[in-house]
Amino acid sequence: MSDVDALPSAQMSQPGAWRAQLPTLIRVYGILLTLFLLLAVVTIGNPAFISQQNVFNMASQWAPAGIMAVGMTFVILTGGFDLSVASAYSLCAVVAAYVGQGHAPWIAFLAAIAAGLVFGLANGLLVAVVRINPFITTVGSGFIINGVALVMTQNAAFLVDNESFGILGAGRWHGVPWSGMLLVTFLVVFGFVLARTIYGEAIYAVGGNYEASRLSGIRVRAVVASTYVLMGGCVGLAGSIAASQLSSAQANLDPGIIFDVLTIVVVGGTSLSGGSGAMWRTAVGLGIIATISNGFVLLDISPYYQSIIKGSIIVAALALDTGLTRLVRSK
Amino acid sequence: MIRRAVGIAMAGERKPLIRKRDSNSTVAIRVRNVSKSFPGVQALRGINFELLSGEVHGLVGANGAGKSTFIRMLSGASIPDAGEIEVQGSPLLFDDPRLKRGAGIAAIYQELTIIPEMSVLSNAFLGKVPSRFFLTDRRRMERRFAELSSWMGLDVSPHVSAGTLSVANQQMIEILRAVQTDQNVLIMDEPTAPLGPHERARLYELIGRLKESGVAIIFISHDLDEVLKLSDRVSVMREGLLVATRAARQWTKDSLVKAMLGDIQILRSEKRTGPPKRELLAATDVALPGRLFGLSFAVNQGEIFGIAGLVGAGRTELLRCIAGAEPAATGSMRIDGVDCIWPRTIRESIRRGIVLAPEDRKRQGLVLSRSSLSNLMLGDLDAVSRGAVIDRKEARSRGEVLARQLGFNPARLDTDALNLSGGNQQKLVLGKWLNRRPRLLLLDEPTLGIDLGAKQEIFQAIRRLSGEGMAVILVSSDLEEVVEHSDRVLVMARGCQIGLLDGHDATVEHILNLIFAVEGRAGNAGVAR
Repeated sequence: MSDVDALPSAQMSQPGAWRAQLPTLIRVYGILLTLFLLLAVVTIGNPAFISQQNVFNMASQWAPAGIMAVGMTFVILTGGFDLSVASAYSLCAVVAAYVGQGHAPWIAFLAAIAAGLVFGLANGLLVAVVRINPFITTVGSGFIINGVALVMTQNAAFLVDNESFGILGAGRWHGVPWSGMLLVTFLVVFGFVLARTIYGEAIYAVGGNYEASRLSGIRVRAVVASTYVLMGGCVGLAGSIAASQLSSAQANLDPGIIFDVLTIVVVGGTSLSGGSGAMWRTAVGLGIIATISNGFVLLDISPYYQSIIKGSIIVAALALDTGLTRLVRSK
Repeated sequence: MIRRAVGIAMAGERKPLIRKRDSNSTVAIRVRNVSKSFPGVQALRGINFELLSGEVHGLVGANGAGKSTFIRMLSGASIPDAGEIEVQGSPLLFDDPRLKRGAGIAAIYQELTIIPEMSVLSNAFLGKVPSRFFLTDRRRMERRFAELSSWMGLDVSPHVSAGTLSVANQQMIEILRAVQTDQNVLIMDEPTAPLGPHERARLYELIGRLKESGVAIIFISHDLDEVLKLSDRVSVMREGLLVATRAARQWTKDSLVKAMLGDIQILRSEKRTGPPKRELLAATDVALPGRLFGLSFAVNQGEIFGIAGLVGAGRTELLRCIAGAEPAATGSMRIDGVDCIWPRTIRESIRRGIVLAPEDRKRQGLVLSRSSLSNLMLGDLDAVSRGAVIDRKEARSRGEVLARQLGFNPARLDTDALNLSGGNQQKLVLGKWLNRRPRLLLLDEPTLGIDLGAKQEIFQAIRRLSGEGMAVILVSSDLEEVVEHSDRVLVMARGCQIGLLDGHDATVEHILNLIFAVEGRAGNAGVAR
C-alpha cells in the first residue's frame, strides 16, 4: 500500500465487494480523512485559519521541519533512521550564520548545505558500508555534531547583521514566502523521485527486502547511503532557513525538532520497518501536525492541554493504522 | 496437567505417552458449510469436511485452491465468514490462540516456528512449560523430553540450541511439541518438502505411530505418491471447493491430478534430442572454502543442465558462486570461449547475463510489500525507463507480456506479492529475470511447494526459452524433475563433483547409487543447511 496506484483494484464481482474493501480503503486513505476532519474543526472554530495570511505563515514556519521530513521519508523507507537531525540542523544553522557574518548570504547557505551533506555522507557510510545499526550510528554522530557546534559557538548565539540574509527564511515574492515555496517544491520533486523513478523504486525494494534487492542487482549499499546524504542536504537547507528566519543561530537551536520530523513522517503512515509509505503521506502528516499546532493557538486552547491533545491524536492515528493493518492482514 | 503428573508418578506402570481424549466421538473435526472471502477472491466456498479420530487424511489441490486458507481456519488462525467448525463435538471458538490449543489442534507449517537461539528443550515446551511454584520444572521437562524423543526415534541433545539442528530434526521438535501438549489433531502442511529420502521415511514411520495412538492427521503434500501411500482418505480441493473425498485406494495418481486440475491438460515432455553444442560457460576448479571442492563443468547454449544431490551437498552454494553472491569463491570462468575472472559481485554476473532465481522466494526473491508489477520490473529497471524516470505504460505492457508467458494472471499485476500463492510468487521471480533476457538462468528449487499446474507452466516457459538459446542450470530436490528436464546432470555430494551424466544415463536410480556410494551409510543424509 505504498502508493495510490498500489490499491488493490476492485476485482470482485459479487455485491458487497466495496464493503469488504472498506478496511483497506480506510487504511490507505484514512489519514487523509483525519486531516480533513482537523481542517474542518479548526476552520469552523476560527475562520481566520484559512486566511491567506495564516496559511503562508504556517508554510514558512513549518518549512524547516517539513523539508527535513522529506529527507527522513527516504531514510525511513529504506528501513533506516536518523536521530542526528536535531544536532545537525543546529550546526548547519550555525555554519550559515557564521559564514553569513562575512560573506554573501548564498555562500553562507551553500556552506550550510555542504556541511549537511558531509554529515549525511558520514552517517550513510557508517550505516551502509560499516553496517552499524542506524539508531546507534546517528545517536552517536548527533552527540559529536552537537559537541562541534558547542565548541564553535562557545554556546553563544551568532548574530547576522545583513538584511539580505533574511530573504530565504522570511522574504516573500508577491506575498508568497520563499521558504514555503521551497517546502512545496521539495515535497513535489522528491515525491516524484520516489514514485516514478528508478531510484525511487530501488528505495522501496531495498526497504522491503534488502537481500532480494541485492540479489536482483540493485546497489543496495549505495541506495541506503544515498538516503542519508539526501537527508543531510535537507538538514542543511532547513538549517539555512532557520538561521535566515532568526538572523542568528546557536548550538541548541531546537532540539525538539527531531520529534516533529519523525512524527510528520510516521503519522502520515510511512512504516518504520521500511518498504512502505509515500511522500504524499508525509505531506498529509505535515498538514496534520501543522494544523494541530496552529489550531491550538487560533482556538485559544491552553498550552497546557496542547501536548496532551497532540500526543493523543498521534497515538490514535497510529493505533488506527496498525489496528486496521492487522484487520486487513488477518482476513 | 494433574492427570499427567499423576501418570508420571506411577513409576513402573506403562503409562500412555499420549493422553487419549475423553470424548467418545469418532469425529475429530467436523466442518459445515464454511466459506471465506478476501478482497478480490472467494477463497473457500461452502466446505464440508470430516476428520475421523485416528485417521490420516490427505489434502491435495493446486496452489490457490484454498488449502492454506482452510487449514488456517482449522487451526484458528483465521475466521470463517460463514459456516461452523466443530472439534470433538463442540464448536471452535476463535477468540484466543490458547483456547485453540485447548481444542487440541496443532499445525506444523512449512515455515517452522522453532526459535533458533533457544535450546531444543525450551522449544519443545514452548508456550506450555511444566512448572512448580512458578518455577520451570526442568527435571520433568527433561524426563518427558527423553520419553517422547525415544518414542519418536529422535536422537538429539535437549541442550543444544535448536538452530543447530537440521531442518528435519527441527520439524521433529515441532511435532514433539504438539505431542507433548496432547494435541489430538495434527495438521501437517507439506512436511516432507524440505526432507531427504531417509528423513521422509522416518517421518512416515512417525505418522504411523501417531495414528496408532489415536491422533488424527491432516496431511498436505504435492507429492501424490506419498499422499496415496500414507493416507486413509484423500480430499481434493479446487478453486475454493472441496471437490471430492474418497478412500485412498479408490484414488489413483491420475484421477487425483484430474480432480485437482479440472480440465487442464497435462503435457508430458519428451527428452530433446541433439541440443545445440556451442559452449556458453565453462567453470573450472570452482571452490568455496569449506563448502565446495574443485568442481569443473561446462554448460552449452540452450542446454538445461541439472544438478542433483542431497540437501547440504553444496548445490545452492554452487549456484551462488556462479551468480557472484559468494565473494570468497575461487575458480576460473570462460564465457563464449573467452576467459574472465570469477565474478565477485551479483552485478558483475548480471552484466555477463547470468542470473539467479534463489530457493527462498520470500526472503531472497521478492519484495513482498510491493506489487507484482514492481517485482517483475526489479530485474531490469533501466529497460522500462527513460533516463531515470520509469515509463509506466511501458512497464505495464512489459509486465503483461511476461505475465502471459508464465501463465500469471495479468489482472493480478497490482496485487502485492505478499498475497500471492507460492506458484505465482515463483512465476514473479522467474519473470523478473526473463525480463532481462538472460543467457544463463540459475534455478534453485524452482518448484519447491508448488502445485502441478504451476510447475507445468514454469517448465513450459523454461523449455521455450532454452529452445531460444538460453541455458539453464537447474537445482531441485525432486530427482525425477531433474532427470525429466535436464539434458545432462551433474551429481554432487558433500561439496564434491561425483558424476556428470548424459541424458540417457541420468536415471533416478543411477544418481541415487552414485550419491549413496559417497554419502555412505545412510543416517546422516541431509546435513543441516
